[in-house]
Amino acid sequence: MRVTVSNLTFGYDYRTVLHELSFRLNSGDFLAVVGNNGSGKSTLVKCILGINKIPSGMITVDDIDITEYKKFKNIGYVPQKFDDFNYEFPITVNEILQVSKYSKVTEDEKLEILDKIGILHLQHENINNLSGGQLQRVFIVRSLMNNPKLLILDEPTVGVDFENVTSFYKTVNELNSEGITIILITHNIRESNANFTHVLHLHNGDGVFQEVTRGVDE
Amino acid sequence: MMFLASDPFVVALFKHSFMGYALITGLMIGFIAPLIGSFVVIRRLSFITDTLSHFSLAGLSIGLFLINILEFTFIGDPIYISMIFSVIGALFIELLRGYYKNYKEISMPIVMSLGTALSVLFISLSGGFNSRIYNYLFGSILTVENDYLLAIGITTVVTILLIVVFYKEMVIISFDEAYARLLGIKVKGFQVVSMVILAVVVSLAITAVGVLLVSSLMIIPVAAAMKVGKSFKNTIFIAIMFSEISIVGGLFISYELPVPSGAAIVLLNVVILMIVGIVRRFILNRRLKKTQLEIQSE
Repeated sequence: MRVTVSNLTFGYDYRTVLHELSFRLNSGDFLAVVGNNGSGKSTLVKCILGINKIPSGMITVDDIDITEYKKFKNIGYVPQKFDDFNYEFPITVNEILQVSKYSKVTEDEKLEILDKIGILHLQHENINNLSGGQLQRVFIVRSLMNNPKLLILDEPTVGVDFENVTSFYKTVNELNSEGITIILITHNIRESNANFTHVLHLHNGDGVFQEVTRGVDE
Repeated sequence: MMFLASDPFVVALFKHSFMGYALITGLMIGFIAPLIGSFVVIRRLSFITDTLSHFSLAGLSIGLFLINILEFTFIGDPIYISMIFSVIGALFIELLRGYYKNYKEISMPIVMSLGTALSVLFISLSGGFNSRIYNYLFGSILTVENDYLLAIGITTVVTILLIVVFYKEMVIISFDEAYARLLGIKVKGFQVVSMVILAVVVSLAITAVGVLLVSSLMIIPVAAAMKVGKSFKNTIFIAIMFSEISIVGGLFISYELPVPSGAAIVLLNVVILMIVGIVRRFILNRRLKKTQLEIQSE
């Protein structure tokens, strides 16, 4: 999935968060968005998802203006926090995945995704019994349930232990190698072993977009 | 009421048609109230049922005013005006929730106050409190008639059909509205339809337990089930079971003893909630002790 951001400017009240930001991703690209707190990383994600209405500039997904884009199920999204999710009422992992599925994903494929992310054993568990890290992985699996062409991960491994972070990025790399475009928001680019193709540094509303020829660690 | 107790409860259900009507009505309300109530609880809107029941009372009192004072007898039963008012109240709440985006709960006291004020005004204009108003406040399931039975029957079927057909959408919207929007689900449309159904169920449930107790019928069985449910479907099933037990039990108590059915139903609901809480605490404590003993023995 191609993503083009052209001269995007966005702000809250009188504060400009993103200033004339432009970049282009082709299908299969892997972008890491880095920056300090308040640099506009999550704001950019909300603009791409059509949650934030853009006052200036343009975002297109597969050459379709985001304001007219209808196939959001093609976009997998793992938010930074799960404040929007209403906890406490009992619901199992399987039930969450079942109601989040709007594409032809077979039972075997679902189990495979659960296994890849390391929570196959938790599929019948009530989410209220899960730890923060386990919950994080449930939402990662949920984002993969509709065979996304674009995967947006907003600091997805916060609270996940090191072993599972490594395994998670291995899976993300595999998904990327299958042609899925990935946008990863991260605080610490070095903690992940992801195969970025591009890096966007956000600072005081301005962005520097760079292509990475090899892994960022190199 | 005491003279009925000469027949056993089960015999009375078949012998006296009003008892049969009361049971069928109760079972239907006992099914859909916690079903709808579950979605209300998940969205953290428990207070909405109280708000709508008070707004329904405004409709009932305006209905009484129109029928008794202005002699608009073609209206038939004020319950129809109550249903319309409940729906208007629900839509008004939804409108205010959109207006006060960061203080959505403000919508409830505004609508509730308006409903209560209109109720007081029109009850006064209709000649003050009487037995009919008392029945609306505290319920009178034993007085239901054919028309009402039909209305509650249609509402039950429509509610179940909507939930079965749009199960995925209803669940994902209730648990995670933002994600539902992302999936392209028409969240606003579903919310408006859900609110309308909720409003109709609230206004119909008033007959069973009254304005002041209707929210308990929708919320308390769900609150009890949440503590023991293992999954979403299992929790809703348990909530419906608790609700039906309290309806049948409440009717039985009000048949055997001279107590109002609405109060008996709600009190039974509260008793179930307390038993669930105590038993759950007892089981958790026993597990904790067992674990401590295992750790000590190691």
